Amino acid sequence: MSQYLLEIKNVSKFFSGLTAIDSLNLRVKKGQIYGIIGPNGAGKTTLFNCITGIYTPEEGEILWHGKEIKGTPPHKIAELGILRTFQTIRLFAEMSVAENIMSGRHIKSTQKWYNGIIPTPAYYKDERKNWEKVGEYMELFGLSDYATTPAGDLSYGLQRKIEMARALAAEPELLILDEPAAGLNENETKELADIIRKIQAMGVTIMMIEHDMDMVMNLCEYMTVINFGAWICDGVAADVQDNPAVIEAYIGIEDEDEDES
Amino acid sequence: MNRTNMISLGFLLIMGIFPFVADSAWLAVGTTFLVFSVVAFSQDIILGRAGAFHMGHAAFFGLGAYTTAILNTHFGWPILATWAPAVIIPMVIALLTTAPIIHLRGDYLLVTTIGINIIFLQILENDLFGLTGGPNGIFGIDVVRLFGHEFFEQIDMYYMALILLGITLFIMKTLDGSKFGRAMFYINKDDVAAQSMGIDIRYYKLYAFAIGAGIAGAAGSMFSVQYSAVSPEAFNVLQSIMFFTIVLVGGSASLPGVLLGTFVMFVLPEIFREFETARYLVFGLAMILTMILRPRGIWPVKFGNIPSYLKKGKK
Amino acid sequence: MDIFLQQIVNGLTVGSLYALVALGYTMVYGVMKLINFAHGDLVALSAFAGLTIYTSMFADGGTSMVAVITVFMFTAAIIAVVGVLLERLAYRPLRTAPRLSAVVSALGAGLVIQNAIMLIWGPNMKIFPSDLFPSTVYDINGVVVTFTQLMILLFSSVLMIALYLFINKTKMGTAIRAVAIDQDAAKLMGINVNRIIMIIFIIGSALGAVAGLFIGIYYRGITFDMGWMYGLSAFVAAIIGGIGNIPGAMFGGLMLGLFNALISGYISSAWAETFTFMLLIVVLIFRPTGILGEKVAEKV
Repeated sequence: MSQYLLEIKNVSKFFSGLTAIDSLNLRVKKGQIYGIIGPNGAGKTTLFNCITGIYTPEEGEILWHGKEIKGTPPHKIAELGILRTFQTIRLFAEMSVAENIMSGRHIKSTQKWYNGIIPTPAYYKDERKNWEKVGEYMELFGLSDYATTPAGDLSYGLQRKIEMARALAAEPELLILDEPAAGLNENETKELADIIRKIQAMGVTIMMIEHDMDMVMNLCEYMTVINFGAWICDGVAADVQDNPAVIEAYIGIEDEDEDES
Repeated sequence: MNRTNMISLGFLLIMGIFPFVADSAWLAVGTTFLVFSVVAFSQDIILGRAGAFHMGHAAFFGLGAYTTAILNTHFGWPILATWAPAVIIPMVIALLTTAPIIHLRGDYLLVTTIGINIIFLQILENDLFGLTGGPNGIFGIDVVRLFGHEFFEQIDMYYMALILLGITLFIMKTLDGSKFGRAMFYINKDDVAAQSMGIDIRYYKLYAFAIGAGIAGAAGSMFSVQYSAVSPEAFNVLQSIMFFTIVLVGGSASLPGVLLGTFVMFVLPEIFREFETARYLVFGLAMILTMILRPRGIWPVKFGNIPSYLKKGKK
Repeated sequence: MDIFLQQIVNGLTVGSLYALVALGYTMVYGVMKLINFAHGDLVALSAFAGLTIYTSMFADGGTSMVAVITVFMFTAAIIAVVGVLLERLAYRPLRTAPRLSAVVSALGAGLVIQNAIMLIWGPNMKIFPSDLFPSTVYDINGVVVTFTQLMILLFSSVLMIALYLFINKTKMGTAIRAVAIDQDAAKLMGINVNRIIMIIFIIGSALGAVAGLFIGIYYRGITFDMGWMYGLSAFVAAIIGGIGNIPGAMFGGLMLGLFNALISGYISSAWAETFTFMLLIVVLIFRPTGILGEKVAEKV
């Protein structure tokens, strides 16, 4: 058994000749909050898409508990315990908050194939148990008041929370957050940091992309800096902050539009 | 009791007493309305819930009808014995034909499902294996017999169709309250997010097609017994388009919407039968106008159907 | 061998007609992502309108080239106007609506046109006069080519080449391609999207009109509901070629025409549509966006 929860080994991803990720290496320990930082267009979201199976990298290995998971389809990745949020919020906008969070319970539901048409006592019990769990997660994220509100009608800050609650409802081992603080105001960002710590205290390992440097330096125990898809450096907050290569990467690049997909 | 259940029960009740006020001509229209509602609901599972652009549903409806017709007239099976195959065969055929194309995006799926319908129709018209009776179809289908009683009157047909609709509504309710129905909605609203929550898109879309085809097959079986005959033109692409339109005009995934849609698309043209030729012109205009004025259908679906103990605090 | 060559000639003729109709579908789809289900009925309308124009203007049966050209020009203009009206009334109000709402509107519009044809010209088959084109028949080593076939092949090739040059070599063509790729960006670059869509409908409908007239002249018998099947075949051709792609529609049309002719010649015309859709399914299994279609990656 590997001592690391997730290992990225020499992973490369190309898009019609362009290198989006360039033989990247990183290792995430269980229980860590792990930061991925880098300028816009550095390939951070592409990395997350590779881990979660939306893309299959052309080269390298992705090891989960020491086992290769490269090429596993997204829904199987979720079943393995890797859940994610999206940089551009992807909620089921017309559906209520509770129904959105209920999607997280999908992989935990024990309903049999025939329960879609025939209800059984076990089916009713399973439904009840999962809705109660949804209630708990709404409570945890302060969303109980909006249970029946369509998710798309709520503020950006609340939508970010719903997305995290939805992922957490699946009881993941690794939670991947793609720019969780984007679009949030200062208060909301502070509250978000508290929530992330709370999630960590529940025993969930967290990987996050974030541009809010205060938050990253505060929260992340370890981080990797990438630029043009390639490794720049990694280390704890203090090391990374002082690294001249990092400073150059950030200053040397004009702020481009996010086009990492 | 929630609103949807109340509407379902209220509707079943009204339809239950309808025969006492209707003459036999209207009873026949009522029976067909019930059968078509069942088909429309089964189309809605695939189109309104799983969000698969499916425009070949008449094929599955017809498969059920022809299964009963062929087993009864060629092989002498009693009608009751044909019910199970009339559900299972459309299910199996739906799985076999849609499995290779289920990954196709939107409009591509739409055209290939039209193709499934057209292939089915050519099989019927070309009288494959001498079983389908060619363009004339099959006549002389028996009635339901049980304990020496023959259910041949229009009112028998009506109540059998009503029971079928009741069963369908119960299945819809179970589906909507299960992880299967929800998974279909998640895929429909955002397939990437659904996948990332652990939902196997392929599995649930095929599930929708299988259930939808099975229910349509049951309705087809009922339809063949009601008219004691089947012929290809009842299952052509125009019929598929009608079922497709019923769902969208009424309101995708909305129970009252689909009932309204069936009423508007099927019963209203019956009422305006005297106008004969002009009615389809008006009909087309009404389709355009409805979509412009109510793009999500006459009675759009409302989400938020969650257990009451979760609905607390302010809205 | 003769049968084979004969079927190739027949297939290319029908294929050119499919291609002309397919272009209308593919251009609208490329720009609006909408299956214009009413397009096939416009083709049918063109045949009826053309027939009426011909019989009323040239009742004496004059077969001069002038007559034929006049009929083509008039009909194409009328159908182009109907196409533009169709877009204005049935599609434009739904541009921001859910995609399927526009599909239902298109189906409704098709129903309106089809039944309008029936109300105006009646439900029975109408017959095109046989004297529009000279009945000359060329026999090349046993392969028969009629003058009409020759005209169809010639005319549609010219139109397709002209369209290809227009789309790829002119400023307007560039604007059309820009709108097809990204409407919002095109709008920001100062392109009048509404005008581009109007032009798309004018060109698409006019090409469909030419196809409709040729269908009348070639097959002679026309019915009010014939648009549906021609439309569907042409749409299938557009998808096989790669929908949204102009050379794709030409290629798909010719390919489907040849395929159908060979199936009819060697197997049975009773199963022609079954084979058409089998071909479509096989193509889509191996090339999910058609033979010349580009792979579209979804942004996550």
